[in-house]
Amino acid sequence: MPTVGYCVIALMLTAYVLLDGFDLGVASIAPFIARNDNERRIAMESIGPFWNGNEVCLIAAGAALFALFPSAYAASFSGFYLPFMVVLWLLMFRGISLELREHLSSDLWHQFWDAAFWASSTLLIVLFGVALGNLIRGVPLDASGYFKGSFSFLLNPYAIAVALLAVCVLGFHGAAFARLRIDGPPAVRAASALTALWWCVAALYVIVSAATLYLRGFDGHWATYACGAIALAALIAMRLALGRSDVAAFAASSLFLIALMGAAAATMYPYILPGYPPGSGGLSIEAAAPSVAAMTTALTVTIGGGIAVFAYGSLVFRRMAGKLRVEDVTQ
Amino acid sequence: METVLADRLQFAFTIMFHYLFPIGTIGLAPFVAAYTWKAARSGDPEDAAAARFWTTIFAVNFAAGVVTGIPMEFQFGTNWAAFSRSSGSVVGQPLAMEGMFAFFLESIFLGALLYGRRGKPTRFMAWAAVMVCLGAWLSGYFIVVTDAWMQHPVGYVAGPNGTYQLSDIWAVVLSSWARWQFAHVFIGALLTGSLIVAGVGAYYLLAKRETALAKRFVRSGTIAAFVFSILAAFPTGDINADDVTKYQPVKLAAMEGLFQSAHGAPLAIIGMPDSKNRTLLDPVYVPGILSYLAYGNFRANVNGLEAYPREFWPPVELTYYAYHVMVGLGTIFGGITALAVLLLVMRRLYSTPLMLWVLMLLVPFPYIANEAGWVVSEVGRQPWIVYGLMRTAAGSSPTVSGGETLFTIIGFAGMYFLLGVLFLTLVLREIGLGPSHPQEVPV
Repeated sequence: MPTVGYCVIALMLTAYVLLDGFDLGVASIAPFIARNDNERRIAMESIGPFWNGNEVCLIAAGAALFALFPSAYAASFSGFYLPFMVVLWLLMFRGISLELREHLSSDLWHQFWDAAFWASSTLLIVLFGVALGNLIRGVPLDASGYFKGSFSFLLNPYAIAVALLAVCVLGFHGAAFARLRIDGPPAVRAASALTALWWCVAALYVIVSAATLYLRGFDGHWATYACGAIALAALIAMRLALGRSDVAAFAASSLFLIALMGAAAATMYPYILPGYPPGSGGLSIEAAAPSVAAMTTALTVTIGGGIAVFAYGSLVFRRMAGKLRVEDVTQ
Repeated sequence: METVLADRLQFAFTIMFHYLFPIGTIGLAPFVAAYTWKAARSGDPEDAAAARFWTTIFAVNFAAGVVTGIPMEFQFGTNWAAFSRSSGSVVGQPLAMEGMFAFFLESIFLGALLYGRRGKPTRFMAWAAVMVCLGAWLSGYFIVVTDAWMQHPVGYVAGPNGTYQLSDIWAVVLSSWARWQFAHVFIGALLTGSLIVAGVGAYYLLAKRETALAKRFVRSGTIAAFVFSILAAFPTGDINADDVTKYQPVKLAAMEGLFQSAHGAPLAIIGMPDSKNRTLLDPVYVPGILSYLAYGNFRANVNGLEAYPREFWPPVELTYYAYHVMVGLGTIFGGITALAVLLLVMRRLYSTPLMLWVLMLLVPFPYIANEAGWVVSEVGRQPWIVYGLMRTAAGSSPTVSGGETLFTIIGFAGMYFLLGVLFLTLVLREIGLGPSHPQEVPV
């Protein structure tokens, strides 16, 4: 049963990466695809109805981790104390910039919030990348099951490579989403951004994969290699879709993200918090799991709730689909 | 700084600031739903304006609530890791339920509601508004369940390594403490929402704008506020006090500033507790009432703080003042809204500027009453993080120092100052523009 719980957490985080991934991604490439005030406004509004719901995935995943693996939740959140606090402040600042941009019609006001929106979103992607990289690499758990992540420990080359990959792949994901939502010049620029970003993603994927194998050895779970292969296939599909179909490009980048998250989860399994140095054990899902009653309840809640959310969420999102044109919002 | 004190200060500061917004969303949600529903049915532009206006105010509240809510969900782990580890099996459950059952409902349908503002209110939007309302209420319920377990733990068994493991989820989710605490919290938020609606209406009447809608706001707001201010005391406040009397008698003693046990204990209307000298300074007493309120008998014995070891006392002064502020304000709300309803019945409310001024200026006070109520509940629970099971001092994170937390408190203070200023600017600007202002609706 802990394995099911582990899969649920991995799925929820994957959903978060897929969903908030595109709105963070749109934000991170917004300065490059939107060149004037109105275009930047469109870029922000393309994610307007979605970002809040997407961010809820993160809260829900945090709560599910709390319910399913309390000691992993306790150790990781307190171990990454300052980075997590910075994440919180950035999430707030980003939410504020999204809410506030349109409330004054001054160019300076708009430019300030556009910059804040870009910077906070991009930094968030970097921090999430660093966090994921360190989870895969392992954290120095002590005998009581806690650790203290110092900056010099957390900012290692591997985690930075993962963070760069995250920036590029979410940039791609965001650009693909922008192509689906926005017409006109920004969409044209998004198309060229997609090509450039693809090469970065491909290069970093190779580097990170090689580094992961070097770090964790070749004795990983079979699912690691399966997910790695799917990611490779998705990477090729992303390239093939460019210039042909926007829907396919977005679908392929989604598949790529799913495969990457799957590979990360499979690499860490059966530890929810692998120890450092690699091979020194860690906090296993068995050790972190609560009572059977708690596990059953949390699984029922997350799986049942997840199905319901998916059902009504896709119904509601379908009503809001469609393209935004530059003309539509020009006053 | 002492680690636990820093952690407590940070939690208190972030939760009290966060809670300002859920009060608004829980309290305004039914008004949003009702106005949207009415607008969808009547097709009347005035109804549509009211619906749009309150949806916008609600949305600003909601966004601020989400933004300040994320730190709450994280802080159990960041600052209270030992507590999370020992109790996560239980308290994680309602939090996971809140995430899965309430947050998604609220945020997805709010997105639909805001997106739909472009056009006329439709049936779909009316349903979306009802779902948002349901989500806001459910979310509040699950949070109260979490707190209720910390106040009165049930449905658990002692597990390995000093953990408390869930044994019966229904006992936790449906505990009677949770149900009545929720009822009280919920009424408090609805009272606030009603007073906001009445206060905004009063402002428009005084400013001689939006008169037709303003009268509706004042009317529905004051009637609802009158009903809720009664419900806040009876039965919900009363039953909560009974639970405290039964399960947390030392909190009761601190709330009332009762140091020495007494038969026929008096109720202190005012007075200053002095926990060092164990006495209530300058008290104004009503004899026998505390015994009656606590046990239904004017002669009953009520245990004072001295009946308990000093180490089990909560911070007496804070609990006492917060309780008296809450009860005092609650009484004032009842009096003012009763008078307002009387004027309404006499058809003189809209033309009585003094009462309109009072209603307008009353808006911040229900917030104070709600926050004070939580201070009574949570400060009065000390020194326990889980009542009778785990000390607060044992709950904090072993790897996070007091200095680090002090640093992040300052960070939160800066961020929340910014957020608070922006929130007020946005809401006041929306009120300034008014419901009939043609909205620049985002696409």
